[in-house]
Amino acid sequence: MSQPLADGVGVARAEHFESIAQQRAAATLGIWAWLITELLLFSALFLVALITRIQHPEATVAAAKHLKFWIGATNTVVLICSSLTMSMAIEFSRMGWQRAMVRAMLATAALGGLFLVLKGYEYYADWDEHMMPFLSSRPFALAETPAARLFVNLYYVATLLHALHLFTGIALLLGMTWMAAKAGFLARHQNWIEIYGLYWHFIDLVWILAFPILYVVNR
Amino acid sequence: MTPGHDSLQLWPAAVSATATETDVLILAFTVLTLLLTVPVFLAITYFAVRYREGSEADRSPSGIRSNLIEISWMLIPFLLTLIFFVWGARLYIHSKNPPPDAMVVEAIGRQWMWKFQHPTGQSEINDLHLPIGQPIRLRIISQDVIHALYLPAVRLQVAALPDRYTDLWFKADKTGTYHLYCSEYCGTDHSVMGGEVTFMNPGDYQDWLTHAGAQQGKVAAGRALYEAFGCAGCHEPGSSVRAPSLAGLYGSSVKLADGRTVTADEAWLREKILNPNGDRLAEGYKQVMPSFAGRIPEDELGRLIDFLKAYPAPRAADATR
Amino acid sequence: MSASGSIGGTARREPHTPESTIGRKADYLHAESTLRSWFLTTDHKRIAILYLVSITGFFVIGALAAGVVRLALVVPNGAIMTNDTYNKAFTIHGVVMVWFFLIPSIPATFGNFLIPLMIGAKDLAFPKLNLTSWYVFMAGALFTLVSVVLGGVDTGWTFYAPLSTAFSNTWVLPALIGVTIVGFSSILTGLNFVVTIHTMRAPGMTWFKLPIFVWAHYATSLIFLLATPVITTALILLIAERAFHIGVFDPAYGGDPVLFQHLFWFYSHPAVYIMVLPGMGVISEIVPAFAQKKLFGYRFVAYASIGLASVTFFVWGHHMFVNGQSDLASLVFSALSFAVAVPSAVKVYNWTATIHKGSLRLDTPMLYAMGYIGLFVLGGLTGLYLATLAINQHIHATYFVVAHFHYIMVGGTVLAFLGGLHFWWPKFTGRMYSEPWGRVSAMLIFLGFNVTFFPQFILGYLGMPRRYATYPAEFQLLNVLSSAGATILAAGYIFPMLYLVYSLWFGRKAPANPWNAKGLEWETASPPPTHNFLTPPEVPRIPYDYPIQAQESRDQHG
Repeated sequence: MSQPLADGVGVARAEHFESIAQQRAAATLGIWAWLITELLLFSALFLVALITRIQHPEATVAAAKHLKFWIGATNTVVLICSSLTMSMAIEFSRMGWQRAMVRAMLATAALGGLFLVLKGYEYYADWDEHMMPFLSSRPFALAETPAARLFVNLYYVATLLHALHLFTGIALLLGMTWMAAKAGFLARHQNWIEIYGLYWHFIDLVWILAFPILYVVNR
Repeated sequence: MTPGHDSLQLWPAAVSATATETDVLILAFTVLTLLLTVPVFLAITYFAVRYREGSEADRSPSGIRSNLIEISWMLIPFLLTLIFFVWGARLYIHSKNPPPDAMVVEAIGRQWMWKFQHPTGQSEINDLHLPIGQPIRLRIISQDVIHALYLPAVRLQVAALPDRYTDLWFKADKTGTYHLYCSEYCGTDHSVMGGEVTFMNPGDYQDWLTHAGAQQGKVAAGRALYEAFGCAGCHEPGSSVRAPSLAGLYGSSVKLADGRTVTADEAWLREKILNPNGDRLAEGYKQVMPSFAGRIPEDELGRLIDFLKAYPAPRAADATR
Repeated sequence: MSASGSIGGTARREPHTPESTIGRKADYLHAESTLRSWFLTTDHKRIAILYLVSITGFFVIGALAAGVVRLALVVPNGAIMTNDTYNKAFTIHGVVMVWFFLIPSIPATFGNFLIPLMIGAKDLAFPKLNLTSWYVFMAGALFTLVSVVLGGVDTGWTFYAPLSTAFSNTWVLPALIGVTIVGFSSILTGLNFVVTIHTMRAPGMTWFKLPIFVWAHYATSLIFLLATPVITTALILLIAERAFHIGVFDPAYGGDPVLFQHLFWFYSHPAVYIMVLPGMGVISEIVPAFAQKKLFGYRFVAYASIGLASVTFFVWGHHMFVNGQSDLASLVFSALSFAVAVPSAVKVYNWTATIHKGSLRLDTPMLYAMGYIGLFVLGGLTGLYLATLAINQHIHATYFVVAHFHYIMVGGTVLAFLGGLHFWWPKFTGRMYSEPWGRVSAMLIFLGFNVTFFPQFILGYLGMPRRYATYPAEFQLLNVLSSAGATILAAGYIFPMLYLVYSLWFGRKAPANPWNAKGLEWETASPPPTHNFLTPPEVPRIPYDYPIQAQESRDQHG
């Protein structure tokens, strides 16, 4: 936001704001406030997962061995790349390079999609290994260690919640890309890209927290 | 419901020294409350009359520096109430530390009844008979949801949790019959989950024990369960499975397969029976014992543990551990 | 009686700001009149009215359930209804009153309407988000309402595990989903307020010129933002536990049922201040206006709001003194809970000092404010009784607790809500209500409230547990007294609904500033035009610029 914007790039003032600076400040503060609440939402969940680990270390380790470490690691890289393309999109939007920006946004959405595909494959592999204890029709592989079931279930709650955020994020991103491809978008709504970028980085951040807490610490 | 209660009662009966002190505490706190609130109420009423619109009152600024007033009315009430924090905390700590010679009565809550078991093995449902003049420790657990055992006459209550024991101790000094409640909402018949606690002279209590219930001793009952659940089949010395002997296990330290060392106390024994494997495996043994979670009722588990606590170590050198 | 008749003292004060705009197209109420213009509005004032109408509806439902509860308790043996019906009735009462009335009550209505006016803004920062919050609120609330009223839920509003997850056979799942959704509405409203107060203040409106009402809402919004996500997590886990039995609150799988209580109270204790702080804000506006005197100790009261909002995050454990929490934790939580007394005392003593040497009018809003101070003091101090460990072991989960939190919630929040509703009614609607009826109702409510709830302190100390459908016969007299008080209270609630609605059509037209009060909301017409101010308002030199100034104003501002 502190960076100078190219000519023809900016924000159209909404009626109830006194100035564009005020409007930008409101939007930035608003997204940060939202991200803090989201972070707290996930933090409470991670806290519960860590408590489970402290109380039942062996069961947690046994369950975590079934997690697909390399898929998780690949997905971490995928999301970091997507944050990079999102940052590029923001930079292009500031420079007024609309076409490059749209391409960077599409690349971001594609990387997000790749993450979901890999995650879906991981869930399939879990299903295959009888690692879905909440399915009553499919006996759980680690049934003799009850706390393993708890950890695996928390893993699903946390990753599904993250995947839901990512899915919403991709949907919003594609919708915005469609609008951003139209002429004059950058003159009216350049800050949408900035605001949205913060949300995308946040989804990335949550995964960067989830990966060590669920996959790495417990190995 | 309880004989001898008036239709309008204004103060509950207190049957222990702690209960009486709790009463003194709350009365003293009420005096402080009145000291802090009555002046405010009187001032508001007085100001409302004195300074009503159009009255001939002096409205010139009083010239008192306000920060000093602010700080004093912030801190003085706070420091005064802290006296009650300390007093209340002292009483609480006292009520949390039972004397070692306390008589232990087991209490098990389930939807929607209480089951009590005396140290001599007799059990009763919803009602409880206890001697006076002797410290009593109630060891409480639940079989389903969270309940709470509440005895207003001794001014105490504590939750009955499904996964661990809680306790409550007191020493009653007055005989009589008083209410006993469940005070944690537990579903449909929450309000009928309770009965009466009767405090009796020790002699009467002994009489009551003799005339009430089966005479089977508690340890003997536990021994029966030890066999009925098949524990003896593996854990008795000489059995083919060669599981560790449980004789003298209570209170000793156990080395685990993962290198940790734990003390085999009540909670450990309980956990070990319910979820024997995983991180609770003793050093040098295999995971063969089945989990008893959901297979052994809570009161029977209590009896089993009591038996284990009383099971003496064999005189010969410990061969199996 | 004529609602436009003599209104004690109010006609004497001449309005000094723009004349009434009522009936002209300019004001927000009459700008457009289609249903569409209401349901798709982004005007914060209209959204406030949408909230006002909906939470009044929820209040009526919650009050009816309370009536059922008090009816059942007239007899000790449960002869009037089954235990099951009773349990469902108190669950409806708790769920509806806490989640759908008390939490949104003052912030979503008065906060929505007044914050932009008080800081001199045209609207909240995110008007569309504001409307979205209302729809999210209604969707979640109606979903839950259907499940608790038509289906029935018997867990109480606290949804403790494992009763709610594994044992109750009622419609717990849809109720939980609805409450989770409503949480998002709270977060969005809090977010909107925080951003608005930070970025939308009129030029010259510095932080220490903000009315205490705005400070209180700022503190409330911080709680919305920082506590609500945790209850969302707790509810998501509870939903997953009930639907899929994931084990997190089930000891058989290494979970812990008390963990839910920690997560629950980490939100629900601060939620008490979501309900209390806005009420304090309302009282801090009413008292100076009816004393015509500057609020005593403005900065202290402002800091006390933030202080309360901070301390409240560290006391949740005082709900669990007897629930198997460690002794050390209980000691720490008990000590911290006593600290809540400090900022609360600041507020009460400062209101009292504001009345000192004022020029008092005892109109309806002021009667409510004085009632509020009295009841809040009692509610607060009995809270300290409960924070005292030894006393808590006796009165935890008894009627003493019920009486205590009703003194805070009804004696505090509801009285402040009604006081504020009367105070700003002319601003909201452009009409004056009947002052004599207002005073009668205020006194009826004060009387009815005390007759209903004071006996419950005694019942609690005598040892009557709460949430009991049947009870020992010796408690009947006090219970009947309490139920009798509830009928007086009900009458007190019905009157305002009648005369306020009557005033909408037949009330005297209100001037811009009927109370001669200070604050930017009184600088614009009643009701305000769509964008609040026709000419940009002039921010006064000091807040609460009333004719009578306390000595301290020279110390702090001179």
